[in-house]
Amino acid sequence: MTRPTEVKPREDEQPGTKWEEFEVGAELPQFSFTISPDIVAEYSRAIDADPQGMVLDGKRVAVPSILSVYLMAVLYRKYPPAQGGIMASNKFRYYGPISADSDTTVVASGKVLEKYEKRGRRYVRYMARFTNDNGDPIAEAENISTFPN
Amino acid sequence: MKRDYFITQEKIDRYGEINGDNDIIHYDVDYARERGFKAPLAHGLMVQGYASAMAAEKYGADWFTRGEIHVKFVGPLYPDETITVEIDDDGKLHVAAGDRTCIVGTAKLRDAA
Repeated sequence: MTRPTEVKPREDEQPGTKWEEFEVGAELPQFSFTISPDIVAEYSRAIDADPQGMVLDGKRVAVPSILSVYLMAVLYRKYPPAQGGIMASNKFRYYGPISADSDTTVVASGKVLEKYEKRGRRYVRYMARFTNDNGDPIAEAENISTFPN
Repeated sequence: MKRDYFITQEKIDRYGEINGDNDIIHYDVDYARERGFKAPLAHGLMVQGYASAMAAEKYGADWFTRGEIHVKFVGPLYPDETITVEIDDDGKLHVAAGDRTCIVGTAKLRDAA
């Protein structure tokens, strides 16, 4: 089981990345984590859902948005976060279920797509992809966040 | 489908625990006010999680292999407010706290007719 804190740098642990330091086109290095039934249950409780997950074809599976708690790790492992980041938009495409009954190893990676300024705020857009350990896609995400520095 | 959720600081803290963040905008009243908000902000991804679970109910098995959710966070989400999460028949997603729109977007199936 991998808690997000084990793979995601937290605010104030390291000097926060300045907007100028984000590099468009930068690859966000691959890492892996394991989603266990305990993580599924804790995440489900946090979104007012059934801790046992949902039923799909007779099997217990996680609400697919569980990957959200690992999403920012894809960016922050290369670019440690500053305090006060705010999410502007977010897109997830789901390709395959995550078990709520057994451990699932997920491999994550990504890429910085764009950065821009709008109405005095500075934004970074990046994508993340999540596969199982066979390389089969589980989900893709695209996030835009604004950072105060 | 439409569902109400009452946001509390306890729920924000619980989400922050599994989310593993230490972003004080979700926890520190003074800091949130410095940034121009009336209170700490709920995690947008927590509310996206509410919507994703609702979409799984709406679309069933297809959601896990063809689901696509796109949200824009257009207004703050505060503790001690009831929010209404709605996904209409066309997959349009809308989240509001009273008459204040907080999130707009879609929750649809890819390749849907």
